[in-house]
Amino acid sequence: MIRRSLNFVIRGLILQNRIVKLLKKDFYIEFRSRASINISLAFAGITTLSVSLTSATMNLPFRVHSILIWVIIFFSAMNSLSHIFIREEEEGTSIFLSIHSEAEEIYIAKLLFNFILFIVITVVVTPLYLFFMQIWPENFIFFASSVFCGSTALSSITTTLGAIVAKTSMRSSLFTVISFPLTIPVLWISINLTASSLEGGSVDLLNLLFLLAFSGVIVSFSYLLFKFIWMEQ
Amino acid sequence: MFLYRLVYILMPIGIFLSLLWVPPANILGDASRILYFHVPVAWVSFLAFIIAGIHSIVLLIKKSDIPYREAMAYNSAAIGMVFTVLTVITGSIWAKVSWGHFWNWDPRETSIVILMLIYIAYFSLFSALKSNPNRWGISSVYLIISMIIAPFLIFIVPRVYPSLHPDTIINQDKKIHLEASMRITLFFLVVTFTLLYGYIYKITNKLSLIIIKLRSSHDI
Repeated sequence: MIRRSLNFVIRGLILQNRIVKLLKKDFYIEFRSRASINISLAFAGITTLSVSLTSATMNLPFRVHSILIWVIIFFSAMNSLSHIFIREEEEGTSIFLSIHSEAEEIYIAKLLFNFILFIVITVVVTPLYLFFMQIWPENFIFFASSVFCGSTALSSITTTLGAIVAKTSMRSSLFTVISFPLTIPVLWISINLTASSLEGGSVDLLNLLFLLAFSGVIVSFSYLLFKFIWMEQ
Repeated sequence: MFLYRLVYILMPIGIFLSLLWVPPANILGDASRILYFHVPVAWVSFLAFIIAGIHSIVLLIKKSDIPYREAMAYNSAAIGMVFTVLTVITGSIWAKVSWGHFWNWDPRETSIVILMLIYIAYFSLFSALKSNPNRWGISSVYLIISMIIAPFLIFIVPRVYPSLHPDTIINQDKKIHLEASMRITLFFLVVTFTLLYGYIYKITNKLSLIIIKLRSSHDI
């Protein structure tokens, strides 16, 4: 019994070590080129400025603000989330990666990378938007939680879809087509939660939990199915 | 196959029951008869999606008979797509008659459009993977992930968000009150349309099998 649990712990540590190595590799490459993060942040900045330039003087309802925040976050992130997998395909390193690492390790490393990237984009977009549009959420903790839970759910689903499009012939155009119908429930609920938090509504724990549960379900299934996407069967 | 051929007898009976036998609904009048077609096609559009998803799961687990199982999932999705379009059309007619507009972005209308978008995305993905030998695995994963999300869109969202859908229009207490004859006709047509789906599905699968055999004989 002790031996079995010891084996389990050792295997867990090895897996963790390999995931950290893969994650480090992705960050080193990204840091060197800064391709996806630069494009995403530039896109986020330009769209936020454009929106505020045209509508800052208008007295928009909170629901419209919430929709605009999520549209900017969603499309800024869309530019870069599939890039992590597409880069492996374009540079011809995907086969090496498949030989060197287990599918589960690759999936977790890429998921963590995308999650961090999404949070960075959100951290840039949201304060910029609030600053330029001159609004302040009535319930800040609820607002931050809604943005965080929405980002977690979106990054979990788009990671798997990013891996799928990387294997196709029409990558960037297909990513929006296949991800849009599956991200709708998350966007729908996130927009409602953010609007409610801007209006100063009470914390909607059920919908926040739904977003986290959605992420959990998608990550679990993707963890099991990732080998069918990434590895040659 | 005999069971599915019953559709030749059941469909005319169903049309007779829905258009002539059943009395019109109290508020909507004869326009309510579209219910007997709208509900069954909506049911089949979701059933076809589930069947496609189940075939994808079986394909990934068994990893045998790949071209045929892949075709079975694809065929079910193709039939489902046709039925989803029919659901949208019949729903729009219903919406025009009862609410005055063809489209109102009601949660139920939105959810069926999203189901249609999932089907379109699946076909786009399928054609984009044409040269990939791993197409069966990747497209199956997409269908399975869609299948996990679809019930939320179709069953949960319309119940959580306020909807104009008939439950609230026909009755004050938001429950379906249909007369016995209406219930019988609706149930009868749901069964008939399910058989119609099964019949078309069988034929398309047979056709796919012939194509697969022809291709493999050409390869030899």
